[in-house]
Amino acid sequence: MAHRRVPTPSQTIGPFFPEHFVGGADHDLTFLDDKSKRAQGQKIYIGGNIYEAERLPRWNCVVEIWQPDANGCFAHPNDPRRARADPNFVGWGRRSSDDAGWYDFITVKPGGYADPLTGKPRAPHIDISIMSSGLMRRVVTTLFFPGEAANVQDPVFNAIPDAAVRERLILRPEKLERAPNDAIAYRLDIVLQGEGETPFFVD
Amino acid sequence: MTPPDRYEPYDEPSQPLMRVDGYRESQLRTPSRPLYKRPATLTEITGPLNLAKKLKVGMNDLSRIKQGAPRAMGQLIWVTGRLLDEDAMPVRGSVLEVWQANAAGRYVHKADSGNPAPQDPNFFGSGRCVTDREGRYAFLSVKPGAYPVPNHPTRWWRPPHIHFSILGEGFMSRLVTQMYFPGEPLNGIDLLLKAVPDEKGRERLVARWTPMMQLERADVVGFEHDIVVRGHRATPMGF
Ligand SMILES: [Fe+2]
Repeated sequence: MAHRRVPTPSQTIGPFFPEHFVGGADHDLTFLDDKSKRAQGQKIYIGGNIYEAERLPRWNCVVEIWQPDANGCFAHPNDPRRARADPNFVGWGRRSSDDAGWYDFITVKPGGYADPLTGKPRAPHIDISIMSSGLMRRVVTTLFFPGEAANVQDPVFNAIPDAAVRERLILRPEKLERAPNDAIAYRLDIVLQGEGETPFFVD
Repeated sequence: MTPPDRYEPYDEPSQPLMRVDGYRESQLRTPSRPLYKRPATLTEITGPLNLAKKLKVGMNDLSRIKQGAPRAMGQLIWVTGRLLDEDAMPVRGSVLEVWQANAAGRYVHKADSGNPAPQDPNFFGSGRCVTDREGRYAFLSVKPGAYPVPNHPTRWWRPPHIHFSILGEGFMSRLVTQMYFPGEPLNGIDLLLKAVPDEKGRERLVARWTPMMQLERADVVGFEHDIVVRGHRATPMGF
């Protein structure tokens, strides 16, 4: 049997992640480059503040998202429906939180899908990772949409037994200054530690 | 070759503690409540495979601002290694990012503007590449200097190190880590390296020195550093 290799330990990203690594459009998932067509689906804007203990805004976090396209497909060999995936959507974005602790993304609303692993329907959702100095490993969680019938059956949403706690993962419609005019805007604050702490999952 | 489709939880002692004594930021930012277990679904076993389209790659010389420009102060180093999964299979086509301090221990970053160590106008300080068919990456740089953590009660100095960010082949193989140099006395007092409870785990963060005659050029000191990201491919190996 092949020799099993143990994953390299994580270490904090520290405070000096190069600014040019978080490019101007890396937080806009609706297009690949100037030449490509726009991704299909409803354009949405997601923004919020990141807080550390004592509800102090945490700037200089590196935030990444991963999500399926508007039809719930991934352009990835593990997705049996990959042939239908939107060629103009990569599903990944990155942003660093600004001096006030604000992070934001422009993307399309993800579709739900029937999950081949758990056999359960996945409600529309976006996986999010936060890295920061002081975080020895990334923290990960999943964002959900309000008013989705599929939320009640979603195996990840329901992995949090306390209803009041899992509500903290539901995006809230809100008029946000920085949202593009043609996007539906949602807000979700992320509390790393303290009152109203965001529920995070084992990575 | 298909990407991994099976991810197991990390083996805890081989990964760092989240709250580290003496590292204040870790105590302000680590969630205080236990993490919830979630089942892996399609979203977790997939990930972006074509990021080299979105992120500019081909920057593997940190030692100068651009080709032909004068090189940075310090000792030239050649850092190479392979990106592997848990079955020792190469992880191909993965975006890999590195950044480090200059030879005096100062970063090219606005957050390091209070550092009294000198800047080096010829030092680029960061790089991004894609792993090749063998999973290999390589960077030319200068040896990073150690630097003191400001106002630390125990005079903690960070040993020379290079930061790595690896996108991997899926959401679950994302890894951010640091590479340390062999034989550095400061390795023994580093709170971040020591945050990994398992000695073998700490050893996995330290590069190996490359014998001089194995290098293709005489003007560099070489280090070899393999990195393993989480993930197993469907076909069990060696049965
Ligand atoms: Fe550093």
